[in-house]
Amino acid sequence: MSRSSPILVVLCLCLPSVAAEELTARQILDKVDDLYRGESSQGTMVMKVVTEHWTREMRLRFWSKGKDMTLIRILSPHKEKGTATLKNGNKIWNYLPKIKRTIKVPSSMMGGAWMGSHFTNDDLVKESRMADDYDFEITFRGERGGQDVVEITCTPRQDAAVVWGKVVVEVRRKDYLPLVQRYYDEDMKLARSMTFSGEKLFGERSLPSVMKLVPEDKPGESTEVRYEDVEFDVGLPDSKFSLRSLQE
Amino acid sequence: MGTLRIAWRSIWRNGRRTAITVAAVGMSTLIMVVTFGLMDGMRIDMVHNVTHLVLGDVQVHATGYRADQSFYKAVPEPEAILDAARAAGVHAAPRAYGYGLVSVGHKSAGARFWGVEPAAERAAFDLAGKLAQGSFLSDSAEASRASRELVLGRKLARSLHAELGSEIIAVVQAADGSLGNELFTVVGILVSCGEDMDRSAAIIHARDFELLFVSGGRIHEIALNARGTVSPERVAARLEAAVTGKAELEEKKPEKEAGGVDIETWRELNPALSDMERLFGASMWLFSLIFFLAAGLGVMNTMLMATFERIREFGVLKALGSTPWRILRDVATESFVLGLFASLLGAVLGAACNLYLAHAGIDLSRYGDVFVEGVAFSPIWRAAASVEGIAAPSAVMVVVCVLAALYPAAKAARLDPVRAMTHV
Repeated sequence: MSRSSPILVVLCLCLPSVAAEELTARQILDKVDDLYRGESSQGTMVMKVVTEHWTREMRLRFWSKGKDMTLIRILSPHKEKGTATLKNGNKIWNYLPKIKRTIKVPSSMMGGAWMGSHFTNDDLVKESRMADDYDFEITFRGERGGQDVVEITCTPRQDAAVVWGKVVVEVRRKDYLPLVQRYYDEDMKLARSMTFSGEKLFGERSLPSVMKLVPEDKPGESTEVRYEDVEFDVGLPDSKFSLRSLQE
Repeated sequence: MGTLRIAWRSIWRNGRRTAITVAAVGMSTLIMVVTFGLMDGMRIDMVHNVTHLVLGDVQVHATGYRADQSFYKAVPEPEAILDAARAAGVHAAPRAYGYGLVSVGHKSAGARFWGVEPAAERAAFDLAGKLAQGSFLSDSAEASRASRELVLGRKLARSLHAELGSEIIAVVQAADGSLGNELFTVVGILVSCGEDMDRSAAIIHARDFELLFVSGGRIHEIALNARGTVSPERVAARLEAAVTGKAELEEKKPEKEAGGVDIETWRELNPALSDMERLFGASMWLFSLIFFLAAGLGVMNTMLMATFERIREFGVLKALGSTPWRILRDVATESFVLGLFASLLGAVLGAACNLYLAHAGIDLSRYGDVFVEGVAFSPIWRAAASVEGIAAPSAVMVVVCVLAALYPAAKAARLDPVRAMTHV
């Protein structure tokens, strides 16, 4: 190697980037956003929440259509079986089978935990496109942690209703699957990070099957979501996302 | 002895003059005693209105609970605290707190749930009687549970459009991470109890709280109220002693969650009220001082006139061979006896007035409600009949009487007898 021409070395280094189809930052963000979405989807996931005081695991069935409609129903544990959450637009309702009542989550509680997890109700609602709410640029491209990655830093637009100071998205350069998203607060301190792992084939899509959310201010705590099965483009009717359907 | 007898005779020599002086001094003392009593009554009422509602004289929490209000920071051994309170003869109310969502129809709002023992609250505090509508929770857990009783804060009820009988859905994050939910019925709506309670209080029976929050009987707060029988500081000291005594015994077995407890008096729990009370107390003394001065000047005037009137008499005494010192001493003794009698009379009458006002009070309700820190102030203004509130004005009056008589007496004592006798 020591004898080879410097030009050749440079050419060799450039080769992969020339060969692969390079996406823009916007395309990458949209791809990450649409990962689990599709026209519609349904599936089963297991959510494991670990806090300082308790640990619990829930199996959930979910349905979604577009970016506005989501229905999630608890399958287990038995005590909470049938408890369901409906998201339609920016509104959230919870159905409580024990008392057979539906309640709308008030705006004051949107920052509260969803089903005791580290996800907030807002996380459920704010499934808008990153590219719409943030200014973004590629801030790193290359090898990190043994993988070829692209890092995009997103800073919220002036008018965007976003609680974060910035969000850093790291994707694998090979196929643009997300590796980690880091959320920073207004003081640019890391507030929480979500890591993606366990790549699995769902139908024709290869997706990370495990998402783990770790809040920085609560050491030892985490919420892990593991997708068991996901089907895409299943053609769900809008009526699936009605209050009536919520109470089924 | 001779001095006193001469003073006594002098007093009765001019009945009209004595009567006027006694009336002036006695009246001033009476007014001062009553004014002081009323102001002190207002100060005490101001504190009691807040402390007797829910705050109490002393509260016990797990160490650090008040800073973050973590559901998991429960009072380590609530029974020990309750026993200590019982031993001290102080009422105590254990409470548990948790946050959640309450919803009526399409309206929902965040709420702070209170798990209370209604019987204990009733004995220790006024809260159970502070209802704008309906009634407080039933004492028995079964009765409360059967009718799913819940009492709401005033503004919370308004924002939920809840009325008596409204069905309330409660959704909370339970202690085990599950989603606790239950239906309740509004049985009572509180009067104004302070901004926090008005906006957020959803009060339920301790047993219902335990089921809703899967709380395992956690107690977050024990509020003690001696209702004026013992000072808050004494209550705190006795609890401190009980707790540390126990802690020493148990030091050998280290407990993970044990930790200590914070024992705080209402002054530490509500510094704003404490400051307000101190400020009120200070301004009350200042105001009293000015009033003492004004009343003192009135008495001084009376005494001056009464003594000046007698300058010729002192001249005669001097001509007969009295030393100036003797005249001064006689006048001082006379005015002391007179002042003492008059202020005692005023004090007795004032004390009687205060006792009556402490008992009956002055009804101010027609002038509207008064609020202290958002808590409805009792519209009956009652006086406080304290020993110092009666003794201080009386003592001041006696001193003023003697001082006021000394000046003209001293003047007369130094005068040439002939000039004194011809003094106009």
